[in-house]
Amino acid sequence: MTSPSASSRKALSKIACNRLQKELVEWQVNPPTGFKHKVTDNLQRWVIEVNGAPGTLYAGETYQLQVDFPEHYPMEAPQVIFVPPAPLHPHIYSNGHICLDILYDSWSPAMTVSSICISILSMLSSSPVKQRPADNDRYVKNCKNGRSPKETRWWFHDDKV
Amino acid sequence: MFVEYKLFFWTDDDIMQQQSAIQAEEAGKIPFVGMILVLLLQEPLSSLAAEYKSGNPILLEKIKVLTEQYAAIRRTRGDGNCFFRSFMFTYLEHILESQDRTEVDRITVNVEQCRKTLLSLGYAEFTFEDFFALFLEQLESVLSGNEASISHEELVQRSRDQSVSDYVVMFFRFITSGEIRKRSEFYEPFVQGLTNTSVEQFCKSSVEPMGEESDHVHITALSDTLGVPIRVVYLDRSCDDKGSFSVNHHDFIPVVRDLTNTNSDDAEAIKPFISLLYRPGHYDILYPK
Repeated sequence: MTSPSASSRKALSKIACNRLQKELVEWQVNPPTGFKHKVTDNLQRWVIEVNGAPGTLYAGETYQLQVDFPEHYPMEAPQVIFVPPAPLHPHIYSNGHICLDILYDSWSPAMTVSSICISILSMLSSSPVKQRPADNDRYVKNCKNGRSPKETRWWFHDDKV
Repeated sequence: MFVEYKLFFWTDDDIMQQQSAIQAEEAGKIPFVGMILVLLLQEPLSSLAAEYKSGNPILLEKIKVLTEQYAAIRRTRGDGNCFFRSFMFTYLEHILESQDRTEVDRITVNVEQCRKTLLSLGYAEFTFEDFFALFLEQLESVLSGNEASISHEELVQRSRDQSVSDYVVMFFRFITSGEIRKRSEFYEPFVQGLTNTSVEQFCKSSVEPMGEESDHVHITALSDTLGVPIRVVYLDRSCDDKGSFSVNHHDFIPVVRDLTNTNSDDAEAIKPFISLLYRPGHYDILYPK
């Protein structure tokens, strides 16, 4: 049961706040390779710079991830999108939405922003071709009004990329 | 690839529970408060027979047998967390009623061991510490004689409050995952039989995310890591070719790893005080007579 207001922003719970502060400290001590957190005073929205890994199709390219945390993080998954222009990738839509199971059904509180970043970079790095998903236009057209990707029912059909 | 947009997305389980809750309300049995509670009130076992009224005769016969041994049932929501939620409530209820401090001390030692296991497996402490703290807090609160002590009614309310209940469920998911990964050689064949994936992938996709249903592997691991025996009673349509049947149960008995602890009390210790009713896809709580 997901209410249509899943993307509307409620303030972080106390537990979520605590957890995010701990994640931020951990990130500062031990940031994942290839990522840079752009420091702001907004704990609920992180903007993270991603550098394509050397030796992959995305080497030398830089993108931005926007991570929004829900009230009940980490029980609920954060919303993670690329700020357009998003990388050309078979699982990344031109509006920045990412088809990756751990961001939705397979999210667990055992994961962290850092582990999400590593999964996204690994997804980018293993891509053999720079192209949009086959259903990109249909999906993006239907995603008007800033709809959250967490309200999409995804089908994770491809475990190779 | 996307399939469709979910707006008001209900699972079949939600709908079925909703329907049975509405029926129960109409029968005046359960207060229905507009949403499905994660944990319902205790009901006499006769309500189970009422549910299958005009249903399969084998099920009805089996319920008759169950009625001889069990007095009541407490239903949980079919949200994929029903095993862990049933375990949580029954365990805490047992401590509340027995005030068994020896058991609390024993399990506290096991929980500390679980913490070490997760750390040695490379989990960052900040990912699980809040969940551990919340469980230990609940454990403390069911013991009488301290400021935080709660009544049975409060325990029911807390177990329905998802900001407490879901955290405790997640605590169990963490330690279950830790146990499976720690003994991955032992669990590998079972995991392979279930999903054909690696132990690590299984834990990531079928143990740690909320809402993932529990199987024998989860139950064995939770029972082992906490040292708590669990009885699961099976209610299904199975019978032999001659049409005769028996109500089967399985006791999950934790392996005793510390042999120095083996003494005559163990025969008593391995009798499960947790009984769950399993119907394909769902666990509820059973109360023995």
